[in-house]
Amino acid sequence: MSREEEILEKIKERFGDNVKNITIQRPRRIFAETDMKYLKEILRCARDELGFDHISTITGEDMGEEIELIYHIAYENAIELSIKTRVPKEDPKIATIIDLYPPAGIYEREVHDLLGVMFEGNPDLSPLLLPDNWPKGVYPLRKDVSLEEIKAIIEKGGEEE
Amino acid sequence: MSGSTIKIIIGPQHPALKEPERFILETEGEYVVDVKVRIGYIHRGIEKAMENRTYLQGLYLSERVCGICSDAHTTCYVQGVEELLGIEPPPRSRFIRVIVAELERIHSHLLWLGIAAHEIGFDTLFMYVWRDREVVMDLLELVSGNRVNYAINTIGGVRRDLNNGRIQKMLKGLKILEDRTKEYLKMIGREQTVLKRTVNIGNLSKSDAIKYGAVGPTARASGVKRDVRVDDPYAAYDEISFNVIVEDGCDCLARIMVRGREVLESIHIIREALKKMPDGEIRVRVKPRIPPAEALSRVEAPRGELLYYIKSNGTDKPERCKIRTPTLANIPSLCKMLVGGYIADVPIVLAGIDPCFACMDRVLIIDKEKRKAEVWTLDMLRRYGREWYQKR
Repeated sequence: MSREEEILEKIKERFGDNVKNITIQRPRRIFAETDMKYLKEILRCARDELGFDHISTITGEDMGEEIELIYHIAYENAIELSIKTRVPKEDPKIATIIDLYPPAGIYEREVHDLLGVMFEGNPDLSPLLLPDNWPKGVYPLRKDVSLEEIKAIIEKGGEEE
Repeated sequence: MSGSTIKIIIGPQHPALKEPERFILETEGEYVVDVKVRIGYIHRGIEKAMENRTYLQGLYLSERVCGICSDAHTTCYVQGVEELLGIEPPPRSRFIRVIVAELERIHSHLLWLGIAAHEIGFDTLFMYVWRDREVVMDLLELVSGNRVNYAINTIGGVRRDLNNGRIQKMLKGLKILEDRTKEYLKMIGREQTVLKRTVNIGNLSKSDAIKYGAVGPTARASGVKRDVRVDDPYAAYDEISFNVIVEDGCDCLARIMVRGREVLESIHIIREALKKMPDGEIRVRVKPRIPPAEALSRVEAPRGELLYYIKSNGTDKPERCKIRTPTLANIPSLCKMLVGGYIADVPIVLAGIDPCFACMDRVLIIDKEKRKAEVWTLDMLRRYGREWYQKR
């Protein structure tokens, strides 16, 4: 059994139906889906028991009604496990994971900036990429924000103080 | 005086990095006790732009994410798109990708070595290293036609082939680079000007490097043996044997030594790749539309792990293209290195992670009288420079 299969079996055994669609897409790439309430438990298990000690990044994506977050974590720099979870776009809130992976703080700031997801418990969600005077509530990576709208904000020079 | 701290703001117009980034240092006496980072001054919204452009147009955007490691970005991007398409680029093109990637690593590391020397006030070394860096810039131009933004990669292969004449010139250039780099490494190891400013400066222990997610030479200088080229091989790296360079000094000197020794290793990789490179096609034609799929692509850029997550939706434009550059991954480690150090050491520690800045080596001269723009070649610039000095 390859190392990828061992990891997959362990996660299946430990979390059962709480992890969905877990697949080995190709050597060294595993994708899985879960509900946000199990996310931290799975990440803790991956870090402490399976040896995933590096977080590569967090990808955020606008799916229409929901925002999808993908946590890319790595085992010995080789096997990338991508765990997907979704938060409702109306009230996008999820617990921070900086207690598990300290460098995640900067990736959470990025997702907060561009997609407006609140990471509860992250002490610093100040703007990372967007200007300080960027209008509140405009999250440029959301699909309903058009290029024209972004252009208009930039031409105006941001929101007046 | 405990409890009374003073804020020192460095940037965004940084005097050392030539890159807009703001560091707010909390200092107590001569010591740094806390650091806050503000980036985003050159955020261009490339991820959003990619969603609105075709895969081929996205290739040109990814080339322009970074001025120094543009080849790493396109390699990562095209690998992701090729995975979505389910195609394999021809073997010869995979070797050409390795060769250009390693030439780029040599140029990036030598550029960094010059900057590191400048940061510690050793401008003689800076001048020498940048003179020698011209050799690798010429090699990159020989292979790709460009000194920066090489545009060698395309979806399904590479755009230019190598012939015997170019290979011979490259081997000659590599010999010069090898000799010079060995010389510098020998000198740096015993030169007090370097040692006094770098030994035990900006320490990052092995456990902290892992904890704070350091990547690339920054991690390897702290004894973390991680390199995407070996751990998660791509292009033709699985067909070439080479060493992962690791130092356990955990300080700025270790970061210099890692990059210096990696230059030598890169030269070895290029020679091996030239020997093993098979004949054949260099690219395959691909369809513009890609059925729904997702791919996570990683490469070892000169600064460390670079990651692209690309998702297709059946059209000729990606649904999402996420980019994570190595410098962002190294920012938490950088904050850790700065805390507890002297203010005077901040520049070399900042430079230690090799933050990325864009550069342009060719100029566009606008002739006001004739109202026409003319692109100058390197030779024209050199000639102009010589004439200007003679006239003076």
